[in-house]
Amino acid sequence: MTNDDRAKYLATGKGEIPDSGRLDMIRGLLSDPGVWTEPPSGVVDGIGAITVHESDLQPSRSRRLRVPLVVAAAAVSIAILGILGVFDRPVVEPSAVANLTGTELMPSASGTATVRDTSSGWAIRLELEGLPGAPAGSFYQGWAWSQEGEGVSIGTFHLRGGDYPVTLWAGVELSEYPWIWVTLQEEGAGPEASGLVLLRGRIDGLDR
Amino acid sequence: MDPEVLSRFRAGDEAAVKAVYERYGRAVYAVTRSILRDEGLAADATQTTFLKAWQAAATYDPDRSFGPWIYAIARRAAIDLYRKEVRSVPTSEIELVDPGPSLESAWETFEVRVALDRLSEQDRQLIRMSHFEGLSHSEIAGLLGVPVGTVKSRSHRAHRRLYELLQHLLEM
Repeated sequence: MTNDDRAKYLATGKGEIPDSGRLDMIRGLLSDPGVWTEPPSGVVDGIGAITVHESDLQPSRSRRLRVPLVVAAAAVSIAILGILGVFDRPVVEPSAVANLTGTELMPSASGTATVRDTSSGWAIRLELEGLPGAPAGSFYQGWAWSQEGEGVSIGTFHLRGGDYPVTLWAGVELSEYPWIWVTLQEEGAGPEASGLVLLRGRIDGLDR
Repeated sequence: MDPEVLSRFRAGDEAAVKAVYERYGRAVYAVTRSILRDEGLAADATQTTFLKAWQAAATYDPDRSFGPWIYAIARRAAIDLYRKEVRSVPTSEIELVDPGPSLESAWETFEVRVALDRLSEQDRQLIRMSHFEGLSHSEIAGLLGVPVGTVKSRSHRAHRRLYELLQHLLEM
């Protein structure tokens, strides 16, 4: 029994192969959609935004990072970033923070929205307290709201796993949409803001 | 995995984390999706995996294979997320509908996806068309505009390469 025979069995499932069970298992995985499905693009965007944010909070780690970048790996870094176009490191331009306060519907809630301009759009990191997991059949939605009363969705979340930071994204110019809202939405109720505004805050300091 | 990238990864370089994601992101997503059986939760678990890996990068031993290390983080992230999700659902509903996290074949799923990502784009496409889309050699030949014989020889070469990449799984 040669490797060619086994490779042929892997391709066709035909032939006499002793202990073919493992090969059959791999053949099963090769036809499984789960093996082929691409992760959503937002996953890597979120990783990029959070690592940049965490680095800012850990100066010692940032120092460890920058020495090899400067001394030894600048060319490699540029090459890798060039190859991985979608992995462009978010550009950390002046960030700004909105202090979010709970409305009369959720007065115990509070938090911050830290915004950063990245190569993919604005990353908006919400760190919330006092907001429980969204009830079944509902979810939370973030909005960037203009002074003129126009809202743009920046993403949805539920917090049922705990009040961990949430990163949302905006493709509009936040200096024109400086208000961050969090609403409670009912599943299946349509794309409009529900009017159940739970937190609200204005982003200040957006100098671009 | 490029030792230079791993070295920068261990130093906490965010760009290296993304390079690691390019290599292992699909495999981590495949294994978390296989455990959680939910694409949204799998995306959360994948993000958590890479953030935890980045935070723990200094503990990674470069003398050991990187794949099993990040697989272990992914598996744990998926199980933790599963448990959090279960806690948010009434117990009676869990008993009725939830069969628990699916850990069967999780490692094999990870390794198969890693192996697929190490193939050339052409080989990967052939294997996808053959297994996932269920196309015959003549159907693939028609789609690619090449003779059937060419598809057969490319398919054999692709499966031989895939077999070699997965041989360690077959010896378990």
